[in-house]
Amino acid sequence: MSVLAEVVTVALNGLQQGAIYVLVAIGLSIILGTLKFVNFAHGALYLIGTYAGLLITLEINVTDGKLADWGYTPIGLEWGFLPALVIVPSVVFAVGLLMERFVARPFYDRPDTDQILLTFGLAIVVQEVFKILFGGQSYNFARPGWASGQVDLPIVGTFPEWRLYIIGITAAVVVLVYGLIEYTDFGLVVRAGTRDAEMVELLGIKLSRPYLMVFGVGAALAGVAGVVGGPLYAVNPNIGTEILVPSFLVVVIGGVGSITGAVLGGILIGETLAILVAVAPQWSQVGIYVLAAIVLLARPQGLLGVEEVTP
Amino acid sequence: MSDEPTETADAAEDTGTVVERAERQLPSWERVRESELFVVAATTVAVALFPWLFARAPVVSGVLQGYQDLATLILIWGIFAMGFNLLLGYTGLLSFGHAAFWGGAAYAAGVFSANVSSSPILVILAGTAFAALSAWVLGFVSLRRGGIYFAILTLAFGQMAYYMALSPLAGITGGENGFTGVELGKLFGVFELRYPVPGLDWLVGTWKYVLVGGIAVLCVAAANRILHSPYGMVFRAIRENEQRAEFVGLNVWRYKLMAFVISGTFAGIAGSLFTIYSAYVPLSSFYWTTSGEVVIMAVLGGVGSLFGPIVGAGVYLYVENIVSGVQQLTLPFTGPAEYLTLVEEPVVILDGFGAYWHLILGLVFVAVVVLFPRGIWGLFEDVGSALRRLGGGR
Repeated sequence: MSVLAEVVTVALNGLQQGAIYVLVAIGLSIILGTLKFVNFAHGALYLIGTYAGLLITLEINVTDGKLADWGYTPIGLEWGFLPALVIVPSVVFAVGLLMERFVARPFYDRPDTDQILLTFGLAIVVQEVFKILFGGQSYNFARPGWASGQVDLPIVGTFPEWRLYIIGITAAVVVLVYGLIEYTDFGLVVRAGTRDAEMVELLGIKLSRPYLMVFGVGAALAGVAGVVGGPLYAVNPNIGTEILVPSFLVVVIGGVGSITGAVLGGILIGETLAILVAVAPQWSQVGIYVLAAIVLLARPQGLLGVEEVTP
Repeated sequence: MSDEPTETADAAEDTGTVVERAERQLPSWERVRESELFVVAATTVAVALFPWLFARAPVVSGVLQGYQDLATLILIWGIFAMGFNLLLGYTGLLSFGHAAFWGGAAYAAGVFSANVSSSPILVILAGTAFAALSAWVLGFVSLRRGGIYFAILTLAFGQMAYYMALSPLAGITGGENGFTGVELGKLFGVFELRYPVPGLDWLVGTWKYVLVGGIAVLCVAAANRILHSPYGMVFRAIRENEQRAEFVGLNVWRYKLMAFVISGTFAGIAGSLFTIYSAYVPLSSFYWTTSGEVVIMAVLGGVGSLFGPIVGAGVYLYVENIVSGVQQLTLPFTGPAEYLTLVEEPVVILDGFGAYWHLILGLVFVAVVVLFPRGIWGLFEDVGSALRRLGGGR
């Protein structure tokens, strides 16, 4: 393989890695930026998305956990991947709405440490519920049949087709969300709320509806990430917390509340991981934290973040 | 102008009277309870009685027999949670990266014991020093952003420590297998740690417990001293209103960094003791669930009080080690199956109860955050003051 081909392959791998982080991080970022609510349970939403996707796309065989005790060993709907890509985000969107109304809203006025503690506790509860239902073991989330092959790319040669789909789906979703935030009236209110919520309220715009929607959209994005990212890793109850930490790094690197920032941060982290895996694998995980430290020392508000308006 | 000195004198006199009056009104019991000597003495007595009450006293039933080691572990985690609470409860900073100091100290202590000296005291000092140093570095980076960012950054750098130990430093740390080469010598060159204390083994058990208990008392004394000093007052001022503390001319960033280093040092002491306790350092001591556990302990027990987190550590470890072994939740509670059954046919409420312990703990944690921000200790205090009111006191 030529050097060029190798470089492009690594770049594509990085893009695909980053894509999942971008999907999770955008949700985190807009919720944190707009609602000033820090959601440690965002990984739990990803977890819900993955398991829901798993249930819809194929029949899974449960061998331990409560479901097996109750006699439901093979479960699943075998509807395929595309319905999952529509149904799962809708379901997680609804979960997000419930979360905003019953979890986040009563805590907007409490100190942010309380918000973190609450969502952290919730994340544990969700994780444990899944562990009880499905057991602790890992499931294999198969790629959809139409995308499981290899594809011939000009410079690279063969490349797994599914990875290209991940990049494509993520790009489409990001464009959609970007359009929603940048070019609609709803987005205008959200952006204004991110900059200075008090001023928006003073202008006579009630923020509770947009807040509800932001939380729902953010959650739905985590759901999409769960379905799209599911086939990449083995599915077990710990994946929610495993995705949470790098996604938070993406938010912090990119700048809170900025969608372009989340995309940039996600790509940076994805590429760093891919390059280090190719060059010095044992440093790959450490590298992203070093990257985060460097960015923060140079630019505490994140690459594309704005200085917050102090209340 | 001429009456100004008189005024000052008056003011001074006034303050004097106010203080005196306040002291006179304070019931003597409360004054005693506040005093440092009492806190240390009470802690010493409690620590000395704890393993006996916990594991050997006839009143506690057979359920707890053989849990001497759990008593030691509770004290170790108690030190960890107490140090964590200096940061969360008193300075208002929520760190999710304290596993880095606990684990870092544990590894440093282990490596030190294998390569330099196996004297327990020196091992503890080495581990603690390493933790304090890394707390200074991590605090320096993490404290660049306040509030939520601080929590996220400490979480991130804690994970970084985990991955460092897992792979690039695997040559030193043993990677996934953990560090197995811990060597432990005699305490002060005389007492073998795993031997029972002659004449007192019915009360405190082994020398290991004496060492851990002694250090726990020292830690309580140190934390109590810090919190009641002007320095500790500044921590509380920062928690209450950071901006105001800044305006009166305090260098808030410096105080926060010091609070972080102090709590990292406590975590280091606890981590080193853990190495001595288990003679092995698992890689999981670096994983962020360790940070999560200490967060749960502190919040469960009650932040903002000296002893709350220690109680929280006790409850957490008790549930983790004993309740999780209970197969069936029955009425009346009968404990693990192999121990005596009080009733012939107890009513089974929940089968496979042990498997749910984490879920139940999570739910209790959420409930505490929502309903009792001051935790179990706060509940104790409320009940205590209610009783005193009933008894006709203030």
